[in-house]
Amino acid sequence: MTKLKKTLMTGYWLVTLALFAFAIAVVFAWTPIEATMGPVQKIFYLHLPIAINTFLACLVTFIASVGYLWQRRQFWDDLAVSSAKVAVLLCSIVLLTGMIWGHSAWGRWWTWSPRLTFSLVLWLLYVAYLVIRPSIESRERRALVSAVYGIVAFLDVPLVYLSVKLMPDIHPTSIQLAPEMKLTLLLCFVSVTLLTVGLIAARYRLHRIESAVGAGLDLPTPTKVPITQPGDAA
Amino acid sequence: MDEPEIRPVTVLTAQPAHERTDAVPDTARLAVRMVGLCKRFDERWVLRDVNLDVPSGTYLALLGANGAGKSTLLHTLAMLSPATSGTLNLFGLSATRPAPALRARLGMIGHQPMLYRDLSAIENLIFFGRLYGVSRPRQRAEEMLERVGLTNRARSPVKTFSRGMVQRLAIARALMHAPDLILADEPFSGLDVPSVLALQRLLAELHAEGKTIILANHDIGQSLDLAQRVVVLRSGQVVSDRRTLDTDTDQVTREVIEA
Amino acid sequence: MMQVIQQIALLTGKDLRVEARSRQTLGLVVVLGILIVVVLGLGLGPQQVASGQAATAVLWVAYLFGGVLCFEKTMAVERHDGALAGLMLAPIDRGVIYAGKFISNLVLMVALALVVTPVAVVMFGFDLSAAPWGFALIMAGGFVGFAAVGTLFAAAVSSSRLQGGLLAMVVFPVSLPLVIASTQMMLHLFRDGEPVGGAGLAVLLAFDAIYLVVSWLVFEVILEP
Repeated sequence: MTKLKKTLMTGYWLVTLALFAFAIAVVFAWTPIEATMGPVQKIFYLHLPIAINTFLACLVTFIASVGYLWQRRQFWDDLAVSSAKVAVLLCSIVLLTGMIWGHSAWGRWWTWSPRLTFSLVLWLLYVAYLVIRPSIESRERRALVSAVYGIVAFLDVPLVYLSVKLMPDIHPTSIQLAPEMKLTLLLCFVSVTLLTVGLIAARYRLHRIESAVGAGLDLPTPTKVPITQPGDAA
Repeated sequence: MDEPEIRPVTVLTAQPAHERTDAVPDTARLAVRMVGLCKRFDERWVLRDVNLDVPSGTYLALLGANGAGKSTLLHTLAMLSPATSGTLNLFGLSATRPAPALRARLGMIGHQPMLYRDLSAIENLIFFGRLYGVSRPRQRAEEMLERVGLTNRARSPVKTFSRGMVQRLAIARALMHAPDLILADEPFSGLDVPSVLALQRLLAELHAEGKTIILANHDIGQSLDLAQRVVVLRSGQVVSDRRTLDTDTDQVTREVIEA
Repeated sequence: MMQVIQQIALLTGKDLRVEARSRQTLGLVVVLGILIVVVLGLGLGPQQVASGQAATAVLWVAYLFGGVLCFEKTMAVERHDGALAGLMLAPIDRGVIYAGKFISNLVLMVALALVVTPVAVVMFGFDLSAAPWGFALIMAGGFVGFAAVGTLFAAAVSSSRLQGGLLAMVVFPVSLPLVIASTQMMLHLFRDGEPVGGAGLAVLLAFDAIYLVVSWLVFEVILEP
């Protein structure tokens, strides 16, 4: 990495983390406590932005999967798996916060409500993506299967959404948002999105290095082309 | 982060390929024309700027160490996987993007027999004949079985065949639709001596009938005996391309093993 | 168009002929299906058995596992001795290869269902007579989508070495919308006596259509000898 890149990365993380800390502070110190749910409602400021970002991470996996099938370049696969990992992380948080919400609203940790089921199926879809990868030895085939899966899984998301709507939903949840609440939500959304992008980028960098090492080992020595990063010599 | 761009190295043949063979062919008579063909698997180039003209009726042997790109070249020729860059023409028609109609003019004999082991010999041939739209596939299948000497086993399932018989049936399958260009990917490997001789004779007959044959092989002496022209691949590049009359085994061996 | 249909019929006919000769797949999946029904019947106990509601879930488990085995087996036939390369060399579209394989898988799954469903109906006291055609329609919608996805992934996953369980891990999560939609519809149909239709059927049909089209598109790119 060049020095400039390193500085930029550090700067990005500093800004992101600062903004995130600020957003959390705002959530607890400034926004009013919601009337029916009480303090637990504050989970909502994380829950919704993270849910949206889960979807964005899935979208990145989808795009990278299409890219891989189109060009057959390893970096597409690295990007796909990076964002899938972030998607699983975010989806786990969504699922947990959803369960906490459900517990305080209806007194049970798990109900087969459409929303919770949707989160669970989405989580399963992308966890499966991650767990099938190690069982395919060939790098090319792993990337190929993952790419097909990345496409199919993403197209599955709206279908899962439509199918859970068929389930009986006995708990309507709608909240009237005060202006402060909307502003806080926006702030949280921006910082969570920055965090997501940063996480995907960090993961991606790691996977690039891993597959560069892997590729180096695959090459027959005489024709081996050294993999150099600009600035490595310095 | 910039990808380190690995460019195919431009090679090497001092003269264009066709000037090295007997006559300068006009393009319509070319069974194969490859220009600047490159193939990349991920970051690794397995074919680099391959230029190859093969006139119709040529018997060409493709030599090279394992991993030199012989199989990849044949796969690209058979339109099993498209090249990364460059152009490929077969019989004067573009095959750079896989063209299903052109496939009917190709026949391939590979490492694997490409047969269904639970079906009988004749069922296999009729199935592939139908797939190629051969008219009267049963009659044609019986002809082919006779040609490879399997008539008396026509109704036995392939799984009961010996390796040599399977290979003969695989050849019959490849020839069911009377292809003009025959691609053979190391067809001799794993065969006993009588089967090798029979296959050599069959290929010579096909050549005499005017078929174009491209044979990937690693037996250098045998290739020089069989073919008219020999092309050596190394690390995905054509390192030599000459008539077999002008060349001897030692020379080709050196080129194959990079001496 | 006629030609394409002929080619698909040729491929499916070949698959069924191979199956008739080897008798590998169907016997295996049918017995597996019955075993699953029996194990779940034993596990759920006599009270559950009477309700009949569990039957659709039980059936889906049997269909899912049996189906995945069908997909694996029919693709293994092509991988063995490189027959798939033979198909790819032929002057036919990749989409035709997909369609042929898809229909073969569908035929095997229907055969599986024709045996396993009556067994489950008897064991679980499940009264199909209320809406047999509704049941058939929902299951048909589910099978088409499941076979569409399964055929695609069987081609992508399959290598010469059979990787047990991998295909199931890939196909099951993706097929969950089918399971959710069809089980919900079955509840409406048999518990509430509502007719089949509306949103549930739309989800099934959307699933079928999307994955048939996507598979057909993707198959072109992923098929490797």
